[in-house]
Amino acid sequence: MKKRIAAMISGVLVLMLLGGCQSGGTAQESVSTEKMASLSGQELILYTWEGMFPDEVISEFEAKTGCEVVYQNFTYDEEMLEKLTQTDGGEYDLVFADDYIIEQAIDAGLVQKLDKAKVPNIENENPMFKGQFFDKTNEYTVNYGAGIPLIVYDPNAIDFKISGYHDLWNEKLKGSIALIGNNRVVTGMVLMSMGESMNTEDINRIEEAGKKLQSLAPNVRLIKDDNTQTALLTGEASVAYLYTSQVYDALNNNPDLKVVVPEEGVGFGLMAGFIPSKAPNSEAAHAFLDYIMEPKTFAQCTEFTGYYCTNIGAETFIDDSKKNMLVVPDGLKGEMIENIGIAANDVHQRIWTEFKAAAGAAE
Amino acid sequence: MKKKKLGLWLTVMPLYLFTLVFVVGPLIYMFVLSFCTRGDHYETVMTFTLDNYKKVAEPVYRNTFMESIKLAFTTTIITILLGYPFGYFMAKLSSSKKKIMMALIMVPFWTSSLVRMYGWSILLQSNGILDKILMGIGITQKPLKLLYTYPAVVSGMVYALLPFMMLAVYSSAEKMDWLLVEAARDLGASAWKAFWTVTWKMTLPGMMTGVVLTFVPSMGLFFVADILGGNKVPLVGNVIQEQLTKGRNWPFAAALSVILMIMTSLFIAIYRKVTGAKELEGLM
Amino acid sequence: MKKHTKLPSIYLALLLILMYLPIIIVVVYSFNENKLTAIWSGFSLKWYEKLFQDKSLMEALKNSLMLGLFSCLNASVIGIIGAVGMARVDYKTKGVVEYLSMLPIMIPEIILGMVFLAFFSMLHLPFGMTTLVIAHTTFCIPYIYMMVKARLVGMDPSLLEAARDLGASEVRAFFDVTLPLIMPAVASGALLAFAMSFDDVVISVLVTNAKINTLPIKVFSRIKFGVSPEINALSTIMLSVTLMVILAIVGINKKTEGGKHL
Repeated sequence: MKKRIAAMISGVLVLMLLGGCQSGGTAQESVSTEKMASLSGQELILYTWEGMFPDEVISEFEAKTGCEVVYQNFTYDEEMLEKLTQTDGGEYDLVFADDYIIEQAIDAGLVQKLDKAKVPNIENENPMFKGQFFDKTNEYTVNYGAGIPLIVYDPNAIDFKISGYHDLWNEKLKGSIALIGNNRVVTGMVLMSMGESMNTEDINRIEEAGKKLQSLAPNVRLIKDDNTQTALLTGEASVAYLYTSQVYDALNNNPDLKVVVPEEGVGFGLMAGFIPSKAPNSEAAHAFLDYIMEPKTFAQCTEFTGYYCTNIGAETFIDDSKKNMLVVPDGLKGEMIENIGIAANDVHQRIWTEFKAAAGAAE
Repeated sequence: MKKKKLGLWLTVMPLYLFTLVFVVGPLIYMFVLSFCTRGDHYETVMTFTLDNYKKVAEPVYRNTFMESIKLAFTTTIITILLGYPFGYFMAKLSSSKKKIMMALIMVPFWTSSLVRMYGWSILLQSNGILDKILMGIGITQKPLKLLYTYPAVVSGMVYALLPFMMLAVYSSAEKMDWLLVEAARDLGASAWKAFWTVTWKMTLPGMMTGVVLTFVPSMGLFFVADILGGNKVPLVGNVIQEQLTKGRNWPFAAALSVILMIMTSLFIAIYRKVTGAKELEGLM
Repeated sequence: MKKHTKLPSIYLALLLILMYLPIIIVVVYSFNENKLTAIWSGFSLKWYEKLFQDKSLMEALKNSLMLGLFSCLNASVIGIIGAVGMARVDYKTKGVVEYLSMLPIMIPEIILGMVFLAFFSMLHLPFGMTTLVIAHTTFCIPYIYMMVKARLVGMDPSLLEAARDLGASEVRAFFDVTLPLIMPAVASGALLAFAMSFDDVVISVLVTNAKINTLPIKVFSRIKFGVSPEINALSTIMLSVTLMVILAIVGINKKTEGGKHL
């Protein structure tokens, strides 16, 4: 069930050979341009988080097709699912969201199958990330980026080497860790440090992780889901457990920071695009997907969002100075964070609240 | 006569109707919802249960209520301490100065509270402006780690809610008949005595408005704890918001809301009883 | 006899400075070249340029203005005639209804947001401007109602009687006598209500759809995602507009002030 990235690294090699397929992409370009012309005067309702596409990419699509992109955003994945449920899969043409929520959307019948003939550039997708739990058969989604939370620290503020999650419990770090606010990721990290799967449904193990998490509280300076890297840049915190995009932003602003790929392994998540079941303009949605899957465009998007690139063709277009941050390193051992049962989830919710309170009390 | 009655009935009709449909209706629904069960797919099932309330009683959630009350009280008391003298002094200014003060208070009011909170966080951040000033004068040597602490949350709450208290106290102090104070003084009362027996009593209703407008929101302003507290102060508002969004447990969110509402109403009732203030006096 | 001490003035000034400090910071940082507030890397107007190209932000501003306007209009109509009527009826339910209609500002916003979210989904009302206006109207009414009620209490009832004695109909008397008298109260109530509506994020975010963003919702998500320099720029512009309007009002008042003080 769980796909280990490491096992799939070999697939990358195969894909390197497929780099040549780009010529095939060009052949089909004329077809898609023709189709694009028919979109003139139409509207594409794009529903995703704030700041997921560079303005240039959107305006170029608009210029090419004459189709206006209406960018709407949500703050939480759950909010998106809620709205999508309310509209019964209508109103929105194209959605980009996190893996676990897409699984729920697919289960609820709110997602339509892609017409891959309309998205020829889909072949640029990195197969390493395909067929994951939320879309095992690769019928519904196009990956837009991979997130791998990593530890980043300021070597000037810390006098020992951090090599994994276990180092975060070091007493020297009292009041100096910044954490992202995603309970599954943070508790997942604790589970992983215990040698457990991030997706375990064993209540006892989760409770144990909760206890261990509480013992981390004195070291925690802040918990924040957005802009967590700022704390590291201002010196508010000296170590941070960050999302990929934040790691990227942190390094861009302070190249001296050290990034640690935890030796215990990593958790990773995917962002993907899908077309809701009753999308008013699925034609335009397919066209947009195809457009962003063009390697050059995708590279542009990746450099903008700061997530790991899930498009093989795009990797060559990524600026050399940024490749180390945006192209998935070899030999990564990781696990995807998947949906878990409601009972386990409730325990997760509770221990998270307990943890936050403990962090406040430990001040 | 009958026509007049009908006319009067028509004037209050919209208020009655609107209140019934859009205030009472939703509140009743919330109450019902709090006894519902959450299904296996996070949906709400109309099966009666007390589980949501049992869950509220769990130590972790009981604790968030305690924290919220503590924070709301701290915020309200500091707001009174800072805001009362402000409103009082302001009422004693000349009328042209009053207008200028009013204008000065209104300006921040019209600036998004989120943006102001954000500015506040920049001020407090490590090596931020406050640190630079303090270190510049030599009061502190190292950056104070002010942001993401409990005092930071309190300061943010006070900052967000202070204008309400200022205005509320000002409006009642302004309307007050200062001759009464003078009369008390003429009768030999000390300045303090005159203040306590006359001014304080007369401005109490205004302060009541201020207290309600401070205490109530401070129970639910979740974004302050988010932006300034580094999420380390779990308040009821945050838990409800989390349950509505990430946790997707509406019945539980409803139960939390019911308890929170009972608590705030109780607080207002007690306050009214103690101060004898009948209702919220108009602001300004 | 009067003692003149500077202490009160100093106190007032200090508190005002404290209130303005964060706003000044936002203004200063709107000219920061760097995206991050942590780093100052030079003066720049680029965020202003970006702001005007930002369609979604402009759209959100428009939505917020519309929402505030509609909600205040609705609330004014319901609140004014409601308060005028309530002052004269003696229904048994009067006290209860009055209390209930004031509830929206006496319970934390998050509760209001939660109940509307649940209630509107139950009714299958499509989320959007309509639901926003309904939700905002509920919390705008109390402000206007309260102000008008307070004003009515202080009003001389003989004025109304005189008007009626002179043969004016109820409606005429309302428009010719009552309304002009309560207008200042309505105005300050509506202004306050508008400010609340214009600033609300907690309720709005729960009762809108993805298409209709209000400015605070946009601001919230921008601040969260750290692309906020444009927000700083927008805040600076809005602040300047507010300042100008207020200064203009103060200026006009100064000129026309002839000792009259209603």
